[in-house]
Formats: sequence, structure tokens, C-alpha cells
Amino acid sequence: MKIRWLIVGIPALLIALIGASFINVSQLSTSKKNEMSIGTLGEPTTLNPIQAADAAASEVNSSIFNGLLKYGPDLEIIGDLAQSWTLNQTSSLWFKDAPAAQSALAQLEALKEKWPAWKLTNAELKDRQLLLRFSLPGLITTEEIAELFSEDPLPLHSFRIELKENSREVLAELTKTHPVLRQWVDSGSAFEITTDRDLTADLKTFFDARPQLEAKIQPLEPVRFLAEPQVVFTLRENVRWHDGAPFSSRDVAFTYRAIMADATASPRKADFDLIQSVETPDTHTVVVTYRKPYSPALNSWMMSIIPAHLLEGKSQEWWVQNYNRQPIGTGPFKFSEWQTNQYIRVVRNPDYFDAPGPWLDAIVYRVFSDQLSLRLAFETRQVDFWGADPWAVAAFQDDPRFQMFSAPSSSYSYVGWNLRKPMFQDIHVRRALSHAVNVPAMVKYTLYGNGLQSTGIFTPQMWFFNPNITPYAYDPEKAKQLLDEAGWIPGPDGIRVKNGERFSFTLITNNANEIRRDIAALVQDDLKKVGIEVKVETYEWAVLLKNFINKGSFDAMVLGWSLGFDFDQFQIWHSSQTNPEQLNVVGYQNEKVDQLLTDLRQEYDREAIIRMAGEMQAQIYQDQPYLFLYVPMSNGLLWKDSYRIRRPDGQGGWLDTPVEMTKAGWRYWADWFYRPEYADQLPKETR
Amino acid sequence: MIPFIIRRLLISAGLVFGISVISFFMMTLAPGSPYPWGELNPKIPPSYKEVFRKKFHLDQPIHVQYWLNMRDLFTGQLKSIKDDRPVLQRIGERLPATLALNAFSIVLSLTFGLLIGIFCARHYGRPPDLIASVVAFVFIALPGFWVASLALMGLVKGFHIPVLGLQSYGIDFPNAASQLLDRFWHLALPAIILSMGGIAVQSRYIRATMVETLREDYIRTARAKGLPEDIVFYKHALRNSIRPLITGIGALLPAMLGGSIIIETIFAFPGMGRLGYEAMLERDYPTLVALNFIVAGLVLIGNLLSDILYAVVDPRVRVE
Repeated sequence: MKIRWLIVGIPALLIALIGASFINVSQLSTSKKNEMSIGTLGEPTTLNPIQAADAAASEVNSSIFNGLLKYGPDLEIIGDLAQSWTLNQTSSLWFKDAPAAQSALAQLEALKEKWPAWKLTNAELKDRQLLLRFSLPGLITTEEIAELFSEDPLPLHSFRIELKENSREVLAELTKTHPVLRQWVDSGSAFEITTDRDLTADLKTFFDARPQLEAKIQPLEPVRFLAEPQVVFTLRENVRWHDGAPFSSRDVAFTYRAIMADATASPRKADFDLIQSVETPDTHTVVVTYRKPYSPALNSWMMSIIPAHLLEGKSQEWWVQNYNRQPIGTGPFKFSEWQTNQYIRVVRNPDYFDAPGPWLDAIVYRVFSDQLSLRLAFETRQVDFWGADPWAVAAFQDDPRFQMFSAPSSSYSYVGWNLRKPMFQDIHVRRALSHAVNVPAMVKYTLYGNGLQSTGIFTPQMWFFNPNITPYAYDPEKAKQLLDEAGWIPGPDGIRVKNGERFSFTLITNNANEIRRDIAALVQDDLKKVGIEVKVETYEWAVLLKNFINKGSFDAMVLGWSLGFDFDQFQIWHSSQTNPEQLNVVGYQNEKVDQLLTDLRQEYDREAIIRMAGEMQAQIYQDQPYLFLYVPMSNGLLWKDSYRIRRPDGQGGWLDTPVEMTKAGWRYWADWFYRPEYADQLPKETR
Repeated sequence: MIPFIIRRLLISAGLVFGISVISFFMMTLAPGSPYPWGELNPKIPPSYKEVFRKKFHLDQPIHVQYWLNMRDLFTGQLKSIKDDRPVLQRIGERLPATLALNAFSIVLSLTFGLLIGIFCARHYGRPPDLIASVVAFVFIALPGFWVASLALMGLVKGFHIPVLGLQSYGIDFPNAASQLLDRFWHLALPAIILSMGGIAVQSRYIRATMVETLREDYIRTARAKGLPEDIVFYKHALRNSIRPLITGIGALLPAMLGGSIIIETIFAFPGMGRLGYEAMLERDYPTLVALNFIVAGLVLIGNLLSDILYAVVDPRVRVE
């Protein structure tokens, strides 16, 4: 009867094994390694920072890499690999001949007492070109100076030429026969040239002789001068790569070239498009020259720097196989191993420049593919942190085991009215709609109260946010009154009518997003109460974009923006961006906002940016092209008392605090986190 | 036998080709297209999207895309849209975990299926059989993801024990045995959930053939000879009822591989199923092409194996 014993025996053995493993796992000691474990939703595509675009990758890379700059605890920009940096600008004006330039210089010399106010530090001549050097970039002062001269500087004509194929040789040929003052090649197949003569006819002849290029010549607006802002970075001296090689300016220049190389597919190209040149006068100085003032460009130097000594001259193939999944950086942690779909482990870098370096031995980033798994891993303390959804916060915020951190996120949801449709063109109607929708209730029902009513295009965490805007109050009576005044009178079926047209429209959104579907339903319900009929339709994301949003053919839509800390929203609000495929999809046009958007891009002064951005936010909120709904809170749950912070107090001593919230998030001091069990390994004297 | 195997292999090759064509066209019919940098992103000019589409042949007509994908697959050049690595490398990394999970699930299905099936046949028509039958039907009907989620929630709420991934993290294991058991636990849990349907189905097959065999004349003869019931049952009847166990391997494999997609995702298990799930969400066509191919191949090989075993076990069956 051996078979009988086998039939019963094998399952019995399996049950015994499973039982033993269950007992084992439930008895596992809670004594933790000196490690932090973090759960990420989704796996990084690559750890090569110039190619990665996903949140998981930037989370891991923040431990491995440094940028030249970074955000401080209050979201101010501070140096990281750069010790310090200065800004300046050179403006070039061309005159018809050298004597004209000389007389202009003489006029300027006579006004020397005004130079400090203009921030003008130097003026010199180069043949018929006058070079003005300013200690602060910006166009306005140069405009002012250009007005002074008795003989006007020559207008400068720029042309943008788009070709079918690579343009470098064509450009070289063109500049041989035509004197060009400035040239700039854009992603291989287009270039811009600037001259002091109108070349329209010449260019036509040149390209008519070369029809195979299929050139498109686009003249740009003439300008009076060329302004080239410069950023000069002084790098830290004591930085080493994880493999021991010294870090130098060569790495910075290489990172820039690698991003812009034609072979690289990088989502960061646009950030660096405006750079004229990156020069390295010595090993610890980097001089970045821009083609024109663009103040948000400074932020792009938070970009992680990659090592030139390893990567220079290597093929994309080589990067994929040898670098993208085992990166070498300069950061507080070194890459150790990546087990696909399981975890990425980084270990303490003992030679970190910010010595004595991080306290933790390692950080393990565990990869999950859904929120439920992440939540279970958190509850069993397999991960210490969890960036929880609003519903989960409602369930866990009073749990004594956990500590919760909460701050407004940098995203907002909105209902966009298509301003091309007559019914939404009346500002009183849009204001009525804003009064008619109960946003506080929406926050309560869709976000479990975890959100703030939005007051426009910026969110409270941003340093240029305007805190003085009062949000629209929920007031259906006022909404009805405004609609009556606008001529929309309730019809026989209760729906308002004006000139025979019923106030009825379609509200669209993407069907995969539950919260947006809920928002659409709540808007529908609220507007019905004031006599407006809303039909809700939902589509798959790609279909929504292709058939409706990109074409601008819709009545109203529910969407959201998540934009980071960038005050430049030119693409979303400027009146030139309303064409199909562009981002001003609602077709908003306001001259004052257009001006502010243009000026903001050229303004480098922090106070001025705050003033102008605030003004712009107020103006757009007043116009209500969107019904601004809410800013969701971004929440983090942490196992209570699992970490403390011991960080330098800046005066040679140490500061010991619990994990606390900063404007830049509760993980801001992550390099200085320690486990209380391991406190005896830390420096003692604290305050 | 050899000509049979060759003929079957040829038919399988045709089938795999058909599957690859149909699955490729179905895949590309789904709305959306792969684009890792997000639509409506003010930081990225639309011109980059064109560069990206060109790189992965997405600007070509569908039949050309299919051809290019297949050519690259067979020359080993096919690269994932997600991270530019060869898809075979990506799948290779996940294959061991999936094979271990599925092998263990099949072992569980067969051993427990046999045990329960025999138990039911032994008590045919009496309350233990009825109860076991009802339970089996319930488990056949229950959706795996639902059971998995409930099991996870229960274990976590009730016992606070780690349940996800390949092992527990951030813990100092007291000894190697403990670490080994920990790994076993993390394999056993998803395997149990994955095999529940299989156990139920297998037990029904075994029970049915057992009951049928027990009605055969030669069983009556054996009993009439006065053989003890245990000998009749386990020696005479069981041997002739074991065929479903063999065919089961062929039938279980596709079901398991399908179930893996959900179970691996829920259990954060680093296998092929989860890779497939993520590739579907990302519209990573090259990875899906290769996965379809490999899964179809595995299933057809499983079927072929069970056919051959069938002929080996049952002398009456001869293949021509």
C-alpha cells in the first residue's frame, strides 16, 4: 500500500512545510537592519538621469546623483555640486560702421553715473559692435540704453529655417557666402541665423537652387540687439565619483552635450535648448551662455550630472548594457544592486562630500505595481514610508502606529471651458458657473477632505504663489442672479435659454480616472440646480486627446495639471498657443497675461517674479477660463518613531530632531535620517 | 512516435505563427500608443514624439511593424520600448520566478487534487463527498484576484506577517534555515492561491474517472475474488483512473500562466506575468510580442508533452 501513503504523505508533507514557514515568518525578529526601505509604485525605466522621466527613477536617483543646484528646505535654490554661482549678461548692438559705434560708446561713457542703476559694469567696442556687460540679465535696461544713442543701432533680422535632413552642412555652406552674426542649430534639422541685413531675398535664391532640401524659411521679428545671459558656476573641490575619480567641470559640459546629442532620446532636451554654449575655463568653473534671457533655465541645473570619464565616446548600446542599470554618481548613496521587479538597493557612500555622510547603511527601494500591495507592505512594515492615497489617509490618520505628513501638492484639477464656444465667452456666465459648483463638498466627497480649494494656476507650496486671492464661494443664488443678468432665463423645462439656445453642454474627461468621473458627476448635479444641463461623456485617454482636446473641439472638460515649481506657463496661457496640438486648449487670450508671461521669462529678480507671477495668477483667476477646483494634499505615512534626524546645525554642532515637515517635503533631510536603535554610532554632542 | 512528434511540432509552429499575428493586431487595435514622456507635457515639444515613434517603427503601417518586430525577435535584436534593453534579456530575468511559481502550483494542484478526488470517490454519494464537491465548485467559481486580495488582507490584519515579494526585507535572519523557510513562505502563498482552481478541477476529474472505473466489470471481479477493498481501490481502480493527472499538466499550464498575471501583480512577485501586465499598461509592444510567443510556445509544448505521456502511460493508446 505504498501508493496510499504517497497520496496522503506528499500533501501532508507540503502542509507541514507551509505550516513551518508560516510559523517561521510570524516569529521573525523585529530587529531591523540599519536600512531604510521605501516602496515605489512602478519600476524605474532606467537609472540614467538624462533619459529617465518617471517618478520612481527620480526617487532612486536623488540618492545616487547630485545636480549643480538643488532646492533648500524652504524651496529656495541653493548650491549642490556648485559652491556658488553668478549671473551676468552681454548685450551686443551693431552700428552701421565703426565711427557710429564709437560715438555711441562716447555717449554712454558720459552717463557713467547711471551705470550702477542699469547694473552696467562694462562697455567695449569690437569694430562696429558695441558690447555691454550687465551684472543682472534682462532686456529692459538694454532697451532703455539703446534709446539714448543719436544714431540707432541696426535692426537685426533673424530667420528660422527648417529642413528635411540634417542641417549642419547646409548652414556651413550658407555662412560661407553670407555674413551671419549668430547661428544656432536646433535638434539637427532646423537652424536660426541672425544678420544685420534683411536676407529674405538672398535666402530665397539660396534655397531655390537647392529644392531637394525642402526648406521652410520663417522670418522672426527684428530686434535691436542680442542679449546673452550667462551663469558662472563655481564647483565644489572635494567631490569624487563613486568609482573614486574626481568630479570636475568636464562632467558638467559632458552632461549637457550628452543630453543634446542627436542620438540621445532625452525628455530634458527642451530645458537646455536655449543654451548657446557651455564652456569650462578651468576644472572647477562652468560658464553657461544662453541665447536670450530665460530665467526658468536656472532650475534645469538641478539636473543630475553624469560622469564623463566613464561615458564619453560610448555608444547608446553600451550605456544601456553597462550604465543605465548600474549607475555611478556622486550622491550620498552608491548603487549596489537592482533585482528586477523586486528592489533597488543603494549603500552608504563613505566618501560623500557632505561628510560624515548619511547615517543609514543602505536604502532599499522596493517595487510594487499597485496601491494595495504597497499598502500591505507598509502595514507589515516591509516598507517604512507610504505616499498614501486620500482614502487611505482617512483610514489611517488616527492610527497610533503611524505618523502622517501632509502638504498641498503641486497639481490641481479644473473644469476647462472652451472659450471658443459662445456660451462660455461671457465672463459673467463663467463666474456664475464658479459660484454654482460646490467645491468644498467636492473635496469632501472625492478626496475625503484631503484637498484645498484652488485659487488659480499656482499652488500654495510654490514660492511665487499669491496668497491674497479669495476663492469663489459656493452660492447658487448668486449664480442664478448672474445668469439672469447675462440673459439666460429659465425655459419651460427648467433649463435656461438665451436667444432660443438652451444652456446645455457636454463635459468630457478620461474614463480611467475615477476621481475625474466623480467630479464630472458632481458638476453635472450642481449645475442642474441652477438650470444648466450637462451631459457627461468619458473616453479613453488617447482618444480624449486625439479627438477632442488636441483639436480644441469640445464644450468643457475635466482635467488636471501637475507642473512642478515652475512659474513659466507660457505654453498653457499665452494667446499664441491656442492652435491644435498646443496646450492653451481652452483658447484663453488676455493681453495683460501675455505681457506678464513674456516678461516673467526675462525676469531674474526673485521679488519681481513673485510680484508678476502673483499678478498673473490673480488676473487669470479673475477671468475664470477654468473653473479651478482643488489642490489635492500630498500625504505620507511613516511608522512612528522609526527614524530621527541628526543633521549639522551649520555651526559645527549637531541638531537632533524628530522627522518633520519642510516646504520641500518630509523627506528633505533623508540623508541625515537615522534609526534610534543605531543612535550610538552617531556623533554625540547635540543641541 | 517520432513522425507523430514531428507532425505535432509542425502544427504547433503554424499555431504559434497564427497566435502571433492575431495577438499583434489585437494589441495594436487597443487605444493608446506607447509614449513614456506623457502627453500634454509643456516641457516636451511634440517634435520629440515623432523622433520616438520613428525609433520604434511606430510610424510604419501595422503589417510592416509586425514584420519588423518578428525579424528583430528572431535575430535577438528586439528591444523594449520601456528601457531599450533586449526583450529576451528582460524575460529571462523573470522566467525562473514564474517557472518556480507555476511548477509549485502544478505540484499542489496534482497532489491535492488527487487526494481530494480519491477521498470523494471513496465516499461517493455520502455527505463527505457532497461537502467536498460543493467546496470544489465554490473554488472553481471564485475569481483568483478576489481570493488573493482577501487572503492578503486577512494575513496582514490578523497576523502582521510579510506576504509580498520573494522574501522579507530589512530583517536580520537568525540562521540560514529561517531565511530558506522565509523564501518558501513567499513562494507558497501565491502558489496556493494560484492552484486553488486547479486543485478543485483536478479533484473533479479524478473523482469522475474513479467512480466510472469502480463500476467496471474487472473491479466487480476483483471484489468477487474476495480481494480487500483497499487493494481493489488503490491498486486496480486507481491505476486506471490516473490519466486525468497526466492530461492535467497540459491543461493546467495555460490556466496557471494566465492566472500568474494577476497573482504576480498582487503579490509583487517578480515574474513574467507581472512583466506582461506592466507591458500591457505601457503599451510595450515588443515585450508583449515576445511574451506572447514564449507563452504560446510553453503551452503548446505542455500539450505535446501530455499527449506523449498519455501514450506512454496507457498501452491502449497508440499514436499514428
